[in-house]
Amino acid sequence: MAHRVINKRRHVGLQQLSSFAQTGRSFLGPVKATKFITDSECHESVLISSTVRLLEGLDLTCAVGQLLNEAVQAQNGTYRIGTSTLLFLVGAWSRAVEECLHLGVPTPVIVSVMTEGLTSCIEAVVPLQVPVYNVFDHMDSTSIVDVSLCPFPSDPGLLKEKRDFKDAISQLLSTYSLSGRHAESPKFFRTQAKVETEKNTPQALQNGLSTDSFCRKSALTHSRHFSRTDNSHWINRPDGFLEQCGLTPRTSRCNDLVELAVGLSHGDHSSMTLAEAAVRLQWQSVSLRQANSKTPFMFDMSRILTCCLPGLPETSSCVSLGYVTVVPMSSIALIKELQGQPFRVILIEGDLTESYRHLGFNKSVNIKTKLDSGKLPEDSAEELWTTSVLQVLIQFDVNLILVQGNVSEHLTERCMQSKRLVIGSVNGSVLQAFAEATRAVPVAYVTQVNEDCVGSQVSVTVWTSPHDINRANRMAIMLKTEGINLITAVLTSPVSTQMETKKDRFWSCVYRLYHALKEEKVFLGGGAVEFLCLSHLQILAEQSLNKENRACSGWLPDSSSWMASSLSVYRPTVLKCLASGWHEYLSAVMFNTATHPSAVEASTFIQHHVQNATNSGSPSSYILSRCSKLSSGLFHSSISDNLEVVQKVYDTVTPKTEAWRRALDLVLLVLQTDSEIITGLAHTQINSQELDGVLFL
Amino acid sequence: MSRFEAKKPSLCKTEPLTSEKVRFTLSVLKGILASCYGPSGRLKQLHNGLGGCVCTTSQSSALLRNLSVTHPVLKVLTASVQNHVSCFSDCGLFTAILCCNLIENIQKIGLTPTKVIKLNKYLLGLCTSYLKSEACSCRIPVDFSSTHIFLGLVRSILTSKPACMLTRKEADHISALILKAFLLTIPESAEDRVILGKSIIVPLKGQRVIDSAVLPGLLIEISEVQLRLLPTQKSSALKVALFCVSLSGDFSNAGEGTVVVPYQVSLENAVLEQLLNLGRQLVGDQVDLVLCQKVIHPSLKQFLSEHHIIAIDRVGVTLMEPLSKVTGATPIGSLNTIASTTYGSVKDLSSARFGSKHFFHLIPNEATVCSLLLCSRNDTAWEELKLTCQTAMHVLQLTIKEPWVLLGGGCTETHLAAYIRHKVHNEAEDVVREDGYSQAELRIATEAFCSALESVASSLEHDGGDILIDMKYGHFWSGQSDSASVVNWQDMLSRCGCGLYNSQEGLSWSFLRSTYHPFAPQKCLSQAAVGTASNLTVDCFTAKLSGLQVAIETANLILDLSYVIEDKN
Repeated sequence: MAHRVINKRRHVGLQQLSSFAQTGRSFLGPVKATKFITDSECHESVLISSTVRLLEGLDLTCAVGQLLNEAVQAQNGTYRIGTSTLLFLVGAWSRAVEECLHLGVPTPVIVSVMTEGLTSCIEAVVPLQVPVYNVFDHMDSTSIVDVSLCPFPSDPGLLKEKRDFKDAISQLLSTYSLSGRHAESPKFFRTQAKVETEKNTPQALQNGLSTDSFCRKSALTHSRHFSRTDNSHWINRPDGFLEQCGLTPRTSRCNDLVELAVGLSHGDHSSMTLAEAAVRLQWQSVSLRQANSKTPFMFDMSRILTCCLPGLPETSSCVSLGYVTVVPMSSIALIKELQGQPFRVILIEGDLTESYRHLGFNKSVNIKTKLDSGKLPEDSAEELWTTSVLQVLIQFDVNLILVQGNVSEHLTERCMQSKRLVIGSVNGSVLQAFAEATRAVPVAYVTQVNEDCVGSQVSVTVWTSPHDINRANRMAIMLKTEGINLITAVLTSPVSTQMETKKDRFWSCVYRLYHALKEEKVFLGGGAVEFLCLSHLQILAEQSLNKENRACSGWLPDSSSWMASSLSVYRPTVLKCLASGWHEYLSAVMFNTATHPSAVEASTFIQHHVQNATNSGSPSSYILSRCSKLSSGLFHSSISDNLEVVQKVYDTVTPKTEAWRRALDLVLLVLQTDSEIITGLAHTQINSQELDGVLFL
Repeated sequence: MSRFEAKKPSLCKTEPLTSEKVRFTLSVLKGILASCYGPSGRLKQLHNGLGGCVCTTSQSSALLRNLSVTHPVLKVLTASVQNHVSCFSDCGLFTAILCCNLIENIQKIGLTPTKVIKLNKYLLGLCTSYLKSEACSCRIPVDFSSTHIFLGLVRSILTSKPACMLTRKEADHISALILKAFLLTIPESAEDRVILGKSIIVPLKGQRVIDSAVLPGLLIEISEVQLRLLPTQKSSALKVALFCVSLSGDFSNAGEGTVVVPYQVSLENAVLEQLLNLGRQLVGDQVDLVLCQKVIHPSLKQFLSEHHIIAIDRVGVTLMEPLSKVTGATPIGSLNTIASTTYGSVKDLSSARFGSKHFFHLIPNEATVCSLLLCSRNDTAWEELKLTCQTAMHVLQLTIKEPWVLLGGGCTETHLAAYIRHKVHNEAEDVVREDGYSQAELRIATEAFCSALESVASSLEHDGGDILIDMKYGHFWSGQSDSASVVNWQDMLSRCGCGLYNSQEGLSWSFLRSTYHPFAPQKCLSQAAVGTASNLTVDCFTAKLSGLQVAIETANLILDLSYVIEDKN
């Protein structure tokens, strides 16, 4: 067993954290620079533009790297968003904490002041929350907008049901205009068009940008809390915020899905358009089915799928109701035959092979079969099994088999001969959706099938035209049934390396919408939240400087320690260091979005506004007033006087604050670690170069 | 052909403790353990260096489990501490540090081992009889009518584990949950003997700590699909069959040897037929809920669900005992006919969703089983939090048996040292007359013993502060180091380690590391002070007492070692 002290002169763990985090800097903000990860041995490379993919490509075998990866994976697993923020803040805060150590602040003081500082900030940004509710209220579920479409209709009979995506959206536009909420000046569109970079963004989105109320008041001017003449200590009254929220008129609400989607798009309009269409489609499909029930609509993520079709132009990306999947070209004839007529389906949960047994079934090795007559049976076991499966299919008149696992090739061929389509590797939620819509019951073995297990009224259409098949010799089809709650986002890209990125981005957008709808609130985005944290921390630091009050114990875990009494000495320093994390964050975002030519310029710009905000006495009202004037975030200095351009940017609430907490937790965990113990290693297994400072027991 | 090799001679080393290497490794081990001690203790990253998971901890149980020490002296030490921890959960670091300190101190004083061992035993006797006596003023009786002391005990345990990464609010929440879970395990009606129930920790990683919760009854994790299949509720109690045998339809327990089966006989079908017969019996017996530790064959599941029986498989071995307790069902271990006495019942069954997980919530008629749904943001912190919760619950159980707590935060150690010093100073002559050592030898050994106790208390300081002791109560005080010249301690200090006294009581102080004149620490704890003091830091009485005994006995054992004989083969 080896033991290494990692906190000698400079904290090695914190340095490792900050150097890992440095790599993810370019993923921050709406404009993301992509990276290539190349393998030096086999010269393969991957194009990445997200933190999770970046960490997949990095060598993180050291202990700190693993903890970092664990933290990012935990954030990704729980929220699927916020990982770039997490990674960046880990780096920024580990540098800040190192600075604190350098200034001689004791470790427990750093831990407690930073933790409480962050808690206080999370409470302070509550006034920047915008309630999201009733976003579906003014959508009329009876006027169905069929966004499900096939860009290359192969069957003229179905043509009338399909429309081009843009047409569908423009119909949406007209629907909304009728509601009278968006009587907007044409001037707005002009300015918006300038800002708009992507041509294919539907106009509906732009229309949605205009919202009813921007008349926020500086309601918090008289807040006891933010008032600088406030003498009582901030720690003692954390619930003061709740009181304020109840009393003051809040920021304007967001009750329009399009506005919400644009706000949450964070520069990725094309993905967000798809995500928003998916939400809308699911809402329509659910509200059609439950016309009478009054249960509120819950956006169900498990019923959204993606289907990637590399090689097609980007404009073919769309969202459709039903299950779009890719099948080999050999089934084209069969699908053409099945097209246009409803047929019956069974759902298989496991593999569809002869040797498959359900999970937990242990095959015995010591069983041998004895032949009585001495001659081999005519058919193999596989053949016998295939025949029995076909018999079941014929008996129940089943034409479609959806299988979660693998499918025996032999069976697929035999089924094709008898005009039955078998699709393998189907996602479990697809089976579930078909089970709900067709009343089929998923089974593990074909032998379990009885009449109650069979679903009916499923139809198939060819999704891509045969002239437009990509080189993989596969084609996309769409399976549909009445009232199915399943939405497939078909993602296309002419560059196949971009496929994964496109998929990741789509999912980020969907998850942003999901969290916003689930929490029924969003933050004002574009840096407003981080900016308020900065100003809040500055005020806190000044407060504790001015005060000679040292009776502020109670939140160091060991309140009788000498450090509890000397907290007030160190508090301003530590809070400033905590603030520097967000400062770095904001300047990196501004630098990445190229609103400022250099990080230094961005930094001075932020400094200027923080000073203004703290001088104003109430940073949150300062920010609210700036937000109503400025476009796309707080500090768009170039167009800060242009009051016509009004575009709100939103952020999710819990994923963001949780990313902050996780980042700080990780940094503080590493900070408090003083040694690394490597277990179960013989002396020889550690490289001699690493031996420096290693002790053996 | 077998080959024989001549046996190597055993290696015999005399006086292992005199070896420089052993002393060095012992001091490294002590350094590792002492740096973990207390609420501001430093954490250790444990990993195997090959990409295995990283464990960040400051708890003795996690540390010692992973430390692989080589020298027999260290092995004796770690084994006895681990043994203590497995019996009492708490005070492992205290035990280990005290033991190391004692060995170190005694090596310096140069007394013969036999004498030292005798003296240590005598001093230990003084400690235990004082701690158990009514006059002991570092012991507080537990008031069962309020949660005050219990919460203090739990909170002291939680705050002394910084790797749990709890904020104050979260620590309060978890303390309350642990206490609630513990109270749910106490049966409502007790006859002559009280049998405590069990609280099961259900992991929910990735969520906020504040989302943790306690529920009476059991939670069984299931998939979302299973949840959707849950049929409509029955109004009366549900009849339960509990299987510990696999119902997957395989024949893995066929034994050794080969089974020969004639062609066209399918064993699988035969087993399945047997399973379906079992299913028919369950239907006939009007069972509502079938729980299986292992897997249920899909066909049997289908059959059961067609007859409106809820079937839950893969329950896992850990839940079997609580399930049997909650439902009153006997686990069924065969596929033959089921006796009707083996069935149990539950009051109600509902579904619950926490985070991304789905659960069946089994609500028993009356039982002392509850589930603690424990959330934490990351895996490392979750593991630490889980260990801490287990420790806290165990400590609460121990406290019910012996209803006292000791003052924490280093106060018990300094107080005890002051008491022993004073006792020996005044009564040395009486002791020496009875036994075969001189008064001077007793004084030296007492000094070594007391300073070992005091250095455990000083291990609570990791950031260069000064440790002081007051001359009235003998309590532990922490002060800033650069204020050494300041005479005005009264204003510099705030509260003593356990939080019972504050500095405004006209006390006088001395540095712990300097020698102070023996004084009689005030006996009789004033009940008024205990009643009014809020947020006391307290330790488990039983665990600390045992830790003290284990530490001293282990030190004696190690000091007594004169040969290490190593078998080299």
